[in-house]
Amino acid sequence: MYKVLRLFLTVLLFGIVTGCGDQRILEKLGLIQTTSYDIAPGSDEDESKQKLLISVTIPRPDSGTGTGSGGVNREFLTAIAQTSKGGRVNLSRQTELQLVSGQLRNTLFGLSLAKQGIWEHIDTLVRDPSISPKVKITVVNGNAHDLLAKNYPFHPRTGQYIDRMLEKESHSQVVPSTTLYQFTKDYFDDGIDPIAPMIKEAGDNVKIDGVALFQKDRYIMKIEPKQALIFAMMRTDIKQGDLNVDLSGQNRNNEHVTLSSLVSHRSVHVTPHNGNFRVDINIKVSGSVLEYIGVLDLENDKDRSTIEKLVSEYVQANANEMIAVMQKNRVDSLGLGKNIRSTLHYAQWHKMNWPDTYQRIEVKFHVNVRIKDYGMFTK
Amino acid sequence: MREKLHPFHVGLLVFMVQAGVVSIFLPRMLAQYMGYNGWVSLLLFSAVATFNIFLISVVYRLSDGKSIFQIIEQSLPKVIVFPLYTVLVSVWTLIGCIAAKQYILLFTVFVFPTTPPMYMKFLFDIIAYSLITKGIYNISKAATVFFWMVIWTALLLLFFLKGFEWVNLTPFFFKESSDVIVGGLSIFTAFLGYELVLLLFPYVNSKKGFMSAVYFGNFLTTFIYLAICLTCFGFYSFKQLTRMKFPLIDLLAYIRLPFVERVENIFIALYLVSALMSITMYIWAASETAQSLIPRASKRWITGVLVCGAFAVSWIPDVLSEVELWLKYLGYMASGIAFGLPLLLIAILAINNGGKKLV
Repeated sequence: MYKVLRLFLTVLLFGIVTGCGDQRILEKLGLIQTTSYDIAPGSDEDESKQKLLISVTIPRPDSGTGTGSGGVNREFLTAIAQTSKGGRVNLSRQTELQLVSGQLRNTLFGLSLAKQGIWEHIDTLVRDPSISPKVKITVVNGNAHDLLAKNYPFHPRTGQYIDRMLEKESHSQVVPSTTLYQFTKDYFDDGIDPIAPMIKEAGDNVKIDGVALFQKDRYIMKIEPKQALIFAMMRTDIKQGDLNVDLSGQNRNNEHVTLSSLVSHRSVHVTPHNGNFRVDINIKVSGSVLEYIGVLDLENDKDRSTIEKLVSEYVQANANEMIAVMQKNRVDSLGLGKNIRSTLHYAQWHKMNWPDTYQRIEVKFHVNVRIKDYGMFTK
Repeated sequence: MREKLHPFHVGLLVFMVQAGVVSIFLPRMLAQYMGYNGWVSLLLFSAVATFNIFLISVVYRLSDGKSIFQIIEQSLPKVIVFPLYTVLVSVWTLIGCIAAKQYILLFTVFVFPTTPPMYMKFLFDIIAYSLITKGIYNISKAATVFFWMVIWTALLLLFFLKGFEWVNLTPFFFKESSDVIVGGLSIFTAFLGYELVLLLFPYVNSKKGFMSAVYFGNFLTTFIYLAICLTCFGFYSFKQLTRMKFPLIDLLAYIRLPFVERVENIFIALYLVSALMSITMYIWAASETAQSLIPRASKRWITGVLVCGAFAVSWIPDVLSEVELWLKYLGYMASGIAFGLPLLLIAILAINNGGKKLV
C-alpha cells in the first residue's frame, strides 16, 4: 500500500517539476538594454495631459549585418503612451520577442522631461523586481530618443556604447555613477539632492556633457565637464582622476599643469556660527605631474611648492564658484545637509527649513595639493 | 538507546528556527515602527527573548528532564488539558503553514512569477513531511547542515562596507516611530522559535549545556539580525528604507560579482532551507502535542494529517498582504504561548514541589 502511494507521489512529483510553467527561452526573449524617456513631441503644455515617448533598444546579434552600430545588430522600438509600463505593452506589439527588463543597464531621460521631474518613472523601475538596483540613470542634454535612435558608425551598438562609456568615465570620477539605488537613496534623504551624469549627441559620437544636478527629482542645473572632477572632489573621495589646470586665472598666462593619478580625500566640519552654520570642507589632493608648460622648474622644491599652491588656488576658486551657483539654485548636491543634520537634535533639524538655510550657510573650501612625483625624465 | 541532542546542535537548531523569512522585511519594519536608528531596538527585543528563555530554563531546572506534557497532564484536569493542547496544535500548525506560504509567495514574486504558488507549496510540504517523520534527532542534524549552507551568506554583508555611510544613520534615535506597540509585537515575532525548546526536554543529553545552547542560538540570531539591519540603515537613507518592501533582497540584488550579478535569486532559493526549518519545527511541535492529545494514534499519521491540514489552510490566503495579516495575528498568539506556557509550567511545578526548588 505504502509502496503504491510512494510510487504515485514520485510520479506526480516528476510530473510537476518538469511541468515548466515559467519558461524563459533565450532566443525568444527581447533583453532590453537601454530605455529612453522623453515628453512626446506635440504634447500638451499641461503636465498631467502630456504623453511619454518611450524607446528601447534590444541587442540582436542575429539581425543586420556586420558589427558595430554601422551593422545595426539591434532592435529599436518606440511607443507613445501615458505611462511607462503602458508603453511597454505598446512596444511589445511591435516585436516577436518577449520583452524582459532583467538585463536593463541604462535609462536615459530627455532634458525637458528631467526638468519636470522623473520620480514617477523611477518609481516604476524600483518597483519591478526584475530590474537591478544598479541600472544607471542618465540625463540627455537634448532628446533622449534621438540620441538612442541614432547609430554611431565607429562605435559598438548604441546602448552598449553609452553604457560602457559611462562605466569608464565614472571609474575615473569625471561623472558620478548614478544608479537606481543611489538616486532613490538621495531622493528620499532630506539632507542631499540627487545628481546624474549628462550626455549629449556630438556628430558621430556621444559625449559626456557634465553632471546634472537635481532638486528632489527635478533637473535644475549642470556642472560643466571641465569642472566635473573638481565637483567630484567636493563631493567625495577620489581614487583616480586626471586634472587639467589652466593657470591663467591665477595671473599666470600660458601655464598649464596636468595632474595624473589623482587621489583626493575630503572631510567636512560643521560649526554653528551666529545662528547660522559654517561648513569647512578640507580637500587633500595628491597626484603626479606628468605635464607642465610654463616658466617654473619642476625639480626645484620651491617652484614645485609654488605649483602646488597655484593648483590649490585653482581648485579652490572653481569650488567656490560652483558652490555659489548651487546655493543660489538651492540644490544641495554635496549633501551638506547630511553633515549639518549630524550635529543637530531632531527637533532643531525639522524646525529648520533646510533648502532656505542652505542658501545662507557659509561654505569654505581648504584645498591642499601635493605633487607626489613629476615623472621619469628631467629637463 | 535513543540518540540524544547535543547542545551544539540545539544551538544551531534554535538559530535556524528563529531566523526565517522575517529577516527579509525586518530592516523595513524597524525603520517603519521604531523610526530613526530602529536597529538599536533589536537589543531590547533580544533582551525580552532572553528573559523568556530564562523562564524556560527555570521550567527545565524544575522539571528534571520530564516532558512538559507529563507535567501538565499530571496536574491539570482533562477539561483544561484538552483545549490547551488544541490551541497549541492549531497555532503551531498554522504558523508553520502560513510562514511557508509567505516564503513561497515571495519566491514566486522574484523567481517564478507565473507558476502557481500552491505547486511549490506542495513540494515544500513533502520535504517538510519527510523531515518531521524522521524525528527530532534527524531534524537537528538537517538543521546543522542547513546552517552551514546559509550562514556563510552573512559574509556577503562585507560587500557593503564600501557603500556604508555612518552619516546615513543620523544622530536621531527612535524619532518618527509609529505604532510602537503593535509594530514591536510584529518585530518580536522575528525572534520566536526558541519557545519550541520546551518540547526538547526529553531529547537532550547534557543537563548543563542545553540551556546555554539555547541562549547561544538566540545570541546568534540577534547578532545576524543586527548585522543585517545596521547594514541596511547605513546603506539606505531612512525614508527610503521605510518604503522598501524587501530590503534584504534589495541588498542582495546590489551585489555584483565579476562573473555574475543579480545573485539574489540564488540566495532566495538558498534561504528555502531556513524557511523549511522553521516550518518543520513548528509542525513537529504541533505533532508532538497532538500525539499527547491522542496517544494511540500513529505519529506518522498525525504528522500526515497536520501537514495536509496545513496545506489545505494555506489555500485560503492567496496574496502576500493577506498572508502577512494572518502571520501578524498568529505571531501574537505564538508570542502569548512563548510567555504563557513557561509561566503556566512554573506555576504547576512550584505548586507540586511546594516551592522547594524554585530558588
